[in-house]
Amino acid sequence: MTGFARRLAGKLLAGLVMVWVVVTFTFFLVHALPGKPGDVQYESYIMQGFSPEEARAKVAAVYGFTSHDPLLGQYLGYLGKLLRGDLGESTYYSGVPVSHLISSALPWTVLPVLSGLVVSFLIGVVAGVVAAVKRSSRWGGLLSVSGSLVAGVPSFVLALLLLLVFHTEWHLLPDAGTSDITLEPGWSPAYVGSVVQHAVLPVVSYALLSYGGWLLAMKSSVVTVLGDDFILASELRGLAPVTRARYIGRNAILPLFTVLALSFGVMFAGSFFIEQTFDYPGLGELLLKSIGVRDYPVMAGAFLLITVAIIAANIVADLCYTLIDPRVRR
Amino acid sequence: MAATAALSTVVRNRRPAFTAFRTAVTRKPGRMIGFGIIVFFVVLAVCGPWFYGTLAVDPNAIYAAPSADHWLGTDFAGSDVFQEVVVGARYVLSTAALAALFTSVLGITVGLVAGYHRGLVDSVLMRVTDFVLTIPGLPLLIILSTVWSFGSPWQMGLVLGLTGWGGVARAVRSQALTLRERGFLEAARGLGLPSRHIIVKELLPNIAPYVAMHLLLSVIAFIGAEVGLFFLGLVPFSSTNWGVMLNQAVFSGGAMNSPDALIYLLSPLVCILLLTLGIVLFLDAVDELFNPRLRERA
Repeated sequence: MTGFARRLAGKLLAGLVMVWVVVTFTFFLVHALPGKPGDVQYESYIMQGFSPEEARAKVAAVYGFTSHDPLLGQYLGYLGKLLRGDLGESTYYSGVPVSHLISSALPWTVLPVLSGLVVSFLIGVVAGVVAAVKRSSRWGGLLSVSGSLVAGVPSFVLALLLLLVFHTEWHLLPDAGTSDITLEPGWSPAYVGSVVQHAVLPVVSYALLSYGGWLLAMKSSVVTVLGDDFILASELRGLAPVTRARYIGRNAILPLFTVLALSFGVMFAGSFFIEQTFDYPGLGELLLKSIGVRDYPVMAGAFLLITVAIIAANIVADLCYTLIDPRVRR
Repeated sequence: MAATAALSTVVRNRRPAFTAFRTAVTRKPGRMIGFGIIVFFVVLAVCGPWFYGTLAVDPNAIYAAPSADHWLGTDFAGSDVFQEVVVGARYVLSTAALAALFTSVLGITVGLVAGYHRGLVDSVLMRVTDFVLTIPGLPLLIILSTVWSFGSPWQMGLVLGLTGWGGVARAVRSQALTLRERGFLEAARGLGLPSRHIIVKELLPNIAPYVAMHLLLSVIAFIGAEVGLFFLGLVPFSSTNWGVMLNQAVFSGGAMNSPDALIYLLSPLVCILLLTLGIVLFLDAVDELFNPRLRERA
């Protein structure tokens, strides 16, 4: 188990270094922006009749630093605030903490992404097994091509086509928002039903996004396992097909944990397009909106969170793989 | 002398690359279709803009139905949709090609140097590669679009290439690691040939088909990313392309709710779908070219 602990420590350290580089990047990004947003705000506070000290304190609350301190001091101050979980304040919604905006947007990204992940995993893995077993037949080939195609087609193309078919043509599902705005949020059946109805298209889009990855990975994995000696041996021993299927399944599913991390990243990246297309108020739309109004603290915070989530997903997937497959542990 | 004779037989027995390529592509109809689609779009991108220099705007024919004059109808400003698709193809394909160029130069260099030299250079380069692979490319591009307006194909290609070379570098490195233990490389090292000669003349040709496969896969991603950035309206547009068309159709043309604009919306969507399908089908042939086991079985 020491090997595992060392691996965990190494991964965590690498992840922390990566997060630190990203934080430094967002700091210098906001710092290097043309027009120095912090200075502009400082000037406007002075114009409104605040004293220089008050104005400086207000700017610091928003951006985490003012350009009056030396660069290193600003940077350390910014890092310190981040460590305490303070992401600054929005400039567009004056005075609202960034962490508040992010935490209210987060569920609308995480829940659809997770449901999409589960759905695509179930369908993709089964389709992958079929594609592997029937790989020399026409249907197996078609299934593989469908996987590569869906994996390759950009997320917004999928989302737009879904919207076109199910909203514009068939009027089956709504095209925007998370629920009917006339309903009071709560646990009433009408509200929950409306939320589910609004979530169908985003979830299906997320599911389609990662379906191809699961299918292709499962297919190649099953094909590899089918060629292994122990499968031939189990066949010669006359084991029941169900037993053999279990052998194949348990061995073939291992490499899919690397796909999990990959899908997570792909889906978070896809959230920009999917949320923008369905006007869904998640993290991706928050970032895009903040870019539209040049709300730099929100922008930096949302970007940071997405990056941290993807780095964390990579670490978790890697560790799961180590835990489950004893051969990797060494 | 015997060695030279043996070497020349080997060279003579090797099938010319073009013949191998032709047999691989013509073996299955799907590959022919894929190859055909790619050639079609390349011709469109190269020759199309010669026919349609400037887009004519006809205010009397807004959202006109398809006709002999306008094959795919017109858009919200009265421009011909077919012309827009053709003109837009050049931007989309040239950007993807440039991005592929930057990716392959960076990825191959890093991968070869890391895989051939190993040791400290290798671990430093691979750390950088891991970093590039983990940083989510699209959010980064979206953030960068606020400080840098990369509208031209060169700039867009450069940005995409800079964020996307990690996969190629890792693939090249793993290939270089296996190849460097093979006999012909040991012989080259034994002859005292300089590293640069070994890397460029011996390693590179053996890795090329593998790189081609990874490049085609990343081209699909590049097309999605560049068109997507325009679709989201994050990059200022100076001329039309498929992403601009989608952005206009969805966010200002109201194409989702008006049947008139349907073809305007569908045209770029179908183009992206077709191009992706073409590359996916063609990949199969490249896979076979690279993978000799597949070649024997078929």
